[in-house]
Amino acid sequence: MKQIITYSSIIFALIISLVSCKKDFLDINPLVGSTEANFYQNEDDAISATIACYNNLQQEVSPLQGLGGLAPHFRWYFGDVVSDDTDKGGSGDGDEPDLLKFESFQGTSDSKLVLGEWQTAYKGIAYCNIALENIPGIDMDSDTKVMLLGEIRFIRAYWYFNLTTMFGGVPIIDQLLAPSEYQQAKSTAEQTWSFIEEDLSQAMLSLPSRSERPLSETGRANWGAAASLLLKSYVYQEKWVDAMAVADEIYNSGEYFLDLNYANIFTSLGENGSGSIWEIQYMNGSGGNWGNQLEGTFTNVFQRARGQFGGYGFNIPTQNLVDEFEDGDPRLSASIFQVGDLMGDRGPFTLEATGMPHLYYCKKYFNTAAEESASLGDPNPNGLANDRVIRYADVLLLRAEAAYHTGATGVALEMINEVRSRARGGDLAILPDVTAGGPYLLEAIYHERRVELGLEGHRFFDIVRQNRGQQILGDEGFMSGIHELFPIPLAEISLSGGLLIQNPGY
Amino acid sequence: MTQLKMINKLFIVFFFFCFSSQIIGQNITISGVVKDLISGESIPGVTVLEKNTYNGVFTDFNGNYSITTSSTSPVLLFSFIGYIKQEITIESASSTESKVININFKLDVAGLEEAVVMGYGNQERSKISGSVATIGTKEITSLPVLRTEQALQGRTSGVQVSQNSGQPGSTQSIRIRGTGSLNNSEPLFVVDGIPSFGIDYLNASDIESITVLKDAASAAIYGARGGNGVILVTTKKGRKNQKAQIQYDTYYGMQEPSKYMSLLNAEEYAILMNESRSAAGYPPYSDLLSPEDLGEGTHWQKEIFERAPIMNHAFNFTTGTESSSTAVGGSYFVQDGIIGGEKSQFERYTFRISSTQDGSDRFRMGQNINFTNLNRNALGENNEFATPVVRALNMDPVTPVTRPDGSFAYSNFIDSDIANPANQIANTFDNWTTNRFVGSAFAEYDILHNLSYKSTFSADLSLGSQKIFMPTFDLGIGYNDPNRPAYEWRETNVLIQVENKYTNWQWENLVSYDQDLENGNKLGIIAGYSALYNEYSNLVGVRDSLATNDPDQAFLNNSINSAEQAPQSSGGISQSAFLSTFIRTNYEIGDQWSFSGTVRRDGSSKFGENNRYGVFPSFSAAFNLTELPWVIEKDWIEFVKLRGSWGRNGNADGIGNFDYTSIIYNGLNYTFGTDQQIVNGAGPVNTSNPDLKWETVEQTNVGVDIDLFQGKLNMVCDYFVKNTNDMLAVVPVPGVVGFNPSATNVASAKNSGIELEVSYKNYDNPINYSLGGNISFIKNEVTGLGEGGQPISSGNVFGAGDFVSYTEIGMPIAYFYGYETGGIFQTNDEAEANTSQPNAQAGDVIFVDQNADGMIDGEDKVMIGNPHPDFTYAMNCEVKYKGFDLSVFLQGSQGNDIYNGVFRYDLNTTNLPISALERWTGEGSTNEYPRISHSDPNQNNRVSDRFVEDGSYFRIKNLQIGYTLNNTTSKKIGASSLRIYLSAQNLLTLTNYSGLDPEIGSRGTLEISIDRGFYPSPRIFMGGLNVSF
Repeated sequence: MKQIITYSSIIFALIISLVSCKKDFLDINPLVGSTEANFYQNEDDAISATIACYNNLQQEVSPLQGLGGLAPHFRWYFGDVVSDDTDKGGSGDGDEPDLLKFESFQGTSDSKLVLGEWQTAYKGIAYCNIALENIPGIDMDSDTKVMLLGEIRFIRAYWYFNLTTMFGGVPIIDQLLAPSEYQQAKSTAEQTWSFIEEDLSQAMLSLPSRSERPLSETGRANWGAAASLLLKSYVYQEKWVDAMAVADEIYNSGEYFLDLNYANIFTSLGENGSGSIWEIQYMNGSGGNWGNQLEGTFTNVFQRARGQFGGYGFNIPTQNLVDEFEDGDPRLSASIFQVGDLMGDRGPFTLEATGMPHLYYCKKYFNTAAEESASLGDPNPNGLANDRVIRYADVLLLRAEAAYHTGATGVALEMINEVRSRARGGDLAILPDVTAGGPYLLEAIYHERRVELGLEGHRFFDIVRQNRGQQILGDEGFMSGIHELFPIPLAEISLSGGLLIQNPGY
Repeated sequence: MTQLKMINKLFIVFFFFCFSSQIIGQNITISGVVKDLISGESIPGVTVLEKNTYNGVFTDFNGNYSITTSSTSPVLLFSFIGYIKQEITIESASSTESKVININFKLDVAGLEEAVVMGYGNQERSKISGSVATIGTKEITSLPVLRTEQALQGRTSGVQVSQNSGQPGSTQSIRIRGTGSLNNSEPLFVVDGIPSFGIDYLNASDIESITVLKDAASAAIYGARGGNGVILVTTKKGRKNQKAQIQYDTYYGMQEPSKYMSLLNAEEYAILMNESRSAAGYPPYSDLLSPEDLGEGTHWQKEIFERAPIMNHAFNFTTGTESSSTAVGGSYFVQDGIIGGEKSQFERYTFRISSTQDGSDRFRMGQNINFTNLNRNALGENNEFATPVVRALNMDPVTPVTRPDGSFAYSNFIDSDIANPANQIANTFDNWTTNRFVGSAFAEYDILHNLSYKSTFSADLSLGSQKIFMPTFDLGIGYNDPNRPAYEWRETNVLIQVENKYTNWQWENLVSYDQDLENGNKLGIIAGYSALYNEYSNLVGVRDSLATNDPDQAFLNNSINSAEQAPQSSGGISQSAFLSTFIRTNYEIGDQWSFSGTVRRDGSSKFGENNRYGVFPSFSAAFNLTELPWVIEKDWIEFVKLRGSWGRNGNADGIGNFDYTSIIYNGLNYTFGTDQQIVNGAGPVNTSNPDLKWETVEQTNVGVDIDLFQGKLNMVCDYFVKNTNDMLAVVPVPGVVGFNPSATNVASAKNSGIELEVSYKNYDNPINYSLGGNISFIKNEVTGLGEGGQPISSGNVFGAGDFVSYTEIGMPIAYFYGYETGGIFQTNDEAEANTSQPNAQAGDVIFVDQNADGMIDGEDKVMIGNPHPDFTYAMNCEVKYKGFDLSVFLQGSQGNDIYNGVFRYDLNTTNLPISALERWTGEGSTNEYPRISHSDPNQNNRVSDRFVEDGSYFRIKNLQIGYTLNNTTSKKIGASSLRIYLSAQNLLTLTNYSGLDPEIGSRGTLEISIDRGFYPSPRIFMGGLNVSF
């Protein structure tokens, strides 16, 4: 027994002596990347945090959190395909079947499309929130700080704008959430719009105008972008007086001009042109892949024809849209490829070449083969076309609409004819000025929006806000009171513990 | 001077005499010879030890020994591996007497005394209280495979080995007693006592034995890393006083594909395509207007599969002297792939030296040095986009492989990522080279005769490089052919080079204590401390536009593209560390009871401050019934043992090094400026989880070992229940959180099952034979997924456009989840009457509306298949007669389902399986297969039971016939034995599965048994030679 005790104590002594030597052996800090404790310290950190907010704008094909897999969820899926402007396309019915269902207003809440849109927006918002929380405390140049905070507010407002036009009232998150706060109920649409207006008003005060920014900062948010988004927010809520006030400000600022040549706007040289108010920047940086787009866009390849053109063939313009254009309107050939047209340097458009029976393809987000050579990674995510979110023509037509609703018919006519005049391009035989007032003027404005801004992801949202859903899309299954909004994702409702209420009818 | 020297000498001699008179005064010299009882052959290298002292010798080459003992009545222990130990007490005799004791050793047929390698020490088989299985060198080398893990398949119950691909060099997925975790379910490999990162650097012929520690108690000594079971590998070593033995093994074989899938030929394809297009309202393809003229077309599978050679050379040398032993081994292995030949080749060189030296009675040391060079060319595999197998199965049979001018042809019907696979193979240059050094050194000192201290240091250094070269190619006809699909040309060549380095060192200190107590009981204690450090770093460089398209000149400096965007480089580093202390106590009461208890405390850098350390206890007991009266009187019962164990182990290997914290990454970039400057953004990706901790695996096991008929019949039966708690799961958080959730320890799973092993050996007759078999029933169930229990979807299959696997509480991990079908609509009226499927017409699939809510949506999905087998089994039989030997090894799995995700239904013009000819063509034609059409508004091809197939299979895994030349013939060339053999592997597979191979592993833990174009395993015919000198 004594032996055992002696030996045991020898063993213990050995072990203890060895154990005590390396206590901090297990303290290892990551060498790649920083932790929250040592970030957000200086001006460079603040700038990087702001850029991260911009980075989320480029997310079109999102990894779905909690599910794995990827879901493309372009704005034009909802704005164009669901409307009467385009048909889905793709390789067949099995390609993006969820979108096929939404197109006929049979979309369900378990669709990856709405989930992707929801998650991406809130991810964008979270990055804005973490920056807004940490940047104010940094010791840096105060003018830069104010400007950065303004940019971040604008981006956050942009995400909420997208969310509320899709889903109506949504949870308003303006700070980082602790685990006990993960489950949130949604606010009303009015509350959400107020929040957006607040952010944009703040941003307008903090941001320089486009002309005040050097060319090297093209693409950053500016006063005009914030003002234009605010204009849209008012228009969506039919607050015509407020809308008119902001529209006047933008119009009289002298910041923006319509590009002389409409067809030029959507070429790669026409990016960030004189009429560009808010554009999401993309470039062919190559090396991107499906899980990580890097700087490129997928829109180019998604909208390009199949077959030897190598695209996926989505967003097929309908005959209905083609018929909307007046005779001789040059915007038709600038927006839509027709059989026989040359598709840039990729060859002539024939039905054999595409292998599909569609007669029309989108032209606005088309890249030539020369523009798209990407050596590294998958060529598909490397499209270089910027997303023209807000153009000056859009602002002019919104001003026209607001003017109409506030009784300023003269201003409305001025606006719509400015747009038509640019489209005419000097050819007086086409696109005569609009002169009539009353309901005919409203119809003319609606028509002008459709042909000026066609295939830019506006149509469905315009129809809904103009309360014309039943009238225009009723045949396709649109039911008033239900289909103005998209269903809130089923997964989000279950994860909210029942706090999130589904939109009516879903 | 000389006088002084003389006195000194006398002094020395006197001292020597005084000192040694203690010994000499009572010395007895005992000598003798040790022989095998049956054969009469003498046995060299037998350990002869004087009990309770350091005094020991070994028998020499002729089996003779001579030992001088210090006491008057010494007790001598004679032991040698494979024989039953003998203990001889010598009655006191006078000091001058020398005694002769001859020993005849009896074979330990039942293997009861076999010293089984356990964690940190050996234990006699008869005393083991945990659930442990051993596999010997003969079984390991009988199946010639590159990956040694494959040799475990079917050898013992409870161990399920499935390949993740049949491609040479690909990894295996091993599950011991079910899938225990959602993250990492691979067991821990320990080689010669050192936990090792995989065993691909070992050649099968270097291995002496493998022990599988299945239950918690035996694996407990490995604490936090033993949660999924432990596989102990012991390499061959020399033995003391062993005559030099040289072993040379070689084989050469030819591999061939064992099966082709039945697909449509060109004529059938044309008929179906025309029907499909007209059903959707499109005009037919002009090329397909007369199907009869198209004939058979291209059999793409035959075009990419080929016969490929496999070859192995291995040599082993072992020898030993009185105080040292040495083993040296080397091998060369090469295996070409049955797809792509050399493009899918694996080549490996290994070299090892293992040696031990005895410094004195109390001190010994040893070294193990391994060096391996692995070289692998790989083709893409197991994804439904751009792999040769998927392309060959989906490519239309009308397109020829090459055009008359010899260039590869492209399809006029399919675009997107289904392209010419033969061209893809020709243009794939993807090579991995790894140089790996694994070395260890130990020193052991006996403080007292029963207390020793051992310190081991080991290092594992692996340098890997990968080179992927993508040359330009153009399948177009002429220059800039407008009809050429996008994937059939590459405009710019690209080179990607990766260098990575993996270093790992471990330091272990162990104290062992053995004590025979007065009442005949035995006590053994081991206690230890170990530290481990891992570091991984990598460097990646990419450039495009290399000057030539020649793969031999593919180096980054040959790029002619000077633009800023093209060169890309990245690199990083990651580390982790591990610290543990442990103690194990064994207590034996006579021959009847043995108990074992272990406690281990582990700390890891991967966990947050709050939970850095974990404590893992276990306990086991065994009761040997053999000496009980009612057992003794039945002389046909040789040995019966009941055992039970309980223990807790941990699992930390699936966790990232920094998952507990939120890291802010750079690289969230954007571009500003008319000149498009990329600017850097930074932000966090995940939320942090400072409470991150170990997964705990708690296992209870009861078992019985029975040997009957003098050890000829042996049975082992076990029942176990294994619960994994605190399982890490990335539980979905609401989207409003914004950041990706980090893994939290909220989930739990349960595996339970019964294992049975039976073997019968009869070595007595001129024909000696042995038969064996094992069967395991394992049931797997998820018991918790965190608060709210959100299920997890996984396994996205592009052809179905949806996820296929689902993990939820109460069901097995990653089961198949989809729509149930209920026949085909035969008429349009029938389709219209069914309002839950508004887009259906005659010929479309009827989906069952499970909740009768009038809609077919996500809530109508149910379980459509279970990838886990009901049971797995294996049988082996060996017969030896005169010089001939025959062995058969059969293996099978029953009840596992496979989701067939091979065909790309999202593309309308792919080739289809022959079953597509059974499509619906009119009322009453079929109730199983829908109509074929380019337009599918009903989504007939969504995830449903149509694509779940029974993957049960039975395989003749190995059939071998060999002949050993008789002694005289072999002695003529100086060999002590010479055996030649012929063998066939995967000779026959019986299965109902329509795909290429029913044995499909996993792609991560949550995607099990989904076929996405699996590279099948080949049938191999080979001939070989084993020679010993």
